[in-house]
Amino acid sequence: MINREWPMYRVILENHQLLPLLPRFNLKMGFGELSVDEVCRNHGVNTDFFLEIANAYLDELYVPGEGLSLFSLSTMVSYIKSTHKYYIDIALPMVEEKINRLMSRSALSKKEISLVTNFFNDYKKDFMAHLSQEEENILPYVLELERQSAQDLPDPEFIQKLQTYSIHEFEKEHDRLETSLKHLYELIIKYLPPFEDLQLCHQVLNDLAALMKDLVDHADVEDKVLVPRVADLEALVLSRTSTV
Amino acid sequence: MRIATFILHIDSFIIRLGLVSILNRLQGVRVLKEFKANESFISFLENHPVDYIIIDQAGFDRLVNLYISKPELLELTILLKDSSLKDLNKGVLRGDVPATLYLTDEKETIVQTLQNLLQHRDDLSTKNSSEDLSPRETTIVRLVSMGLTNRQIAEKLFLSAHTVMTHRKNINSKLGIKSVSGLTIYAIVNNIITIEEVSSLP
Repeated sequence: MINREWPMYRVILENHQLLPLLPRFNLKMGFGELSVDEVCRNHGVNTDFFLEIANAYLDELYVPGEGLSLFSLSTMVSYIKSTHKYYIDIALPMVEEKINRLMSRSALSKKEISLVTNFFNDYKKDFMAHLSQEEENILPYVLELERQSAQDLPDPEFIQKLQTYSIHEFEKEHDRLETSLKHLYELIIKYLPPFEDLQLCHQVLNDLAALMKDLVDHADVEDKVLVPRVADLEALVLSRTSTV
Repeated sequence: MRIATFILHIDSFIIRLGLVSILNRLQGVRVLKEFKANESFISFLENHPVDYIIIDQAGFDRLVNLYISKPELLELTILLKDSSLKDLNKGVLRGDVPATLYLTDEKETIVQTLQNLLQHRDDLSTKNSSEDLSPRETTIVRLVSMGLTNRQIAEKLFLSAHTVMTHRKNINSKLGIKSVSGLTIYAIVNNIITIEEVSSLP
């Protein structure tokens, strides 16, 4: 468990997998001896929020603690959006470019090449559709919930929706994005003929593995940090209206 | 997990409050409404998707005639008894409510009882949606990977196009894979088809 007093450089030194979190929080390196708390505050980041996310990333069994109540859902939502942006602008194009390069240099048959490239094109479409479903439906719902919870008398229409919908329903849809990548990884190492450019092939596999891990961790953050917090707020809003 | 919705029919404000606070901490649970001693929940049941009614002993005694006329309500009813010693209205129910709570229960016991109930309900609803494909679905994945259209698959398997569509939908939701290209790669790595057999124009 990472602690706010620890020097940030040690945290990153010892937990290499947190590296992709830095750009999402807009945290610049050159940490010197500054603590996690100091680095966060210098960059206008809520330290408790950073700790919740980082700890959820590091520990699969991590259960969010008191830190949960210390940040707003809009903070959470903007973090999720910046993670999506990272996938769309950086992670996916990076691996796509390498896959295309690997294919163009390979001795694969036309059929094998189109198997991989068609797969990746379709995967990208599904991936985008998944993210936009979140951005267009789930995240606005979360923000609306936060807004309604701040009001003395929440909108009756919203309450009606709450009685049959909960953030828990969104949870189950959520571990799927990495599955297809795993199939692709397996296809490459097991079924396709070996690639001449071994280094490039390894880079593709490394990128795929990193993206899979990131997607699992991101789903964890949503399921372990966002969902409980939203569920608490749903219950709060409902309990207030049922006692009126 | 689908949300389990609850209503409470409990005379005591303090007990109602306590139960609501426990229920709200459980995952996938909604308390739709609380009813006091003199309030009837019957009309509410007609317009709302209620999965469970938690009712106290006094309430149950008062509504015994209702339960006799609508025995199906027992399937939704969780009884909150004063103690395990007293048995009430033996004629109407003999252990046919899904769960019983006791006023003397500790929090852990109550949480456990409710979680078992929800778990059981989840098991029932997910029984038919296992991740594994059925033999028929596997055949369809194979044919899809070979480049056959739904209509061609229907003809080959002597099914209606509609049935093939239904299978395709079930496959999509089981695997979380929508595209033909995704299914093809799934089929290859699960040894449903070889690369040689795959359609050259996926």
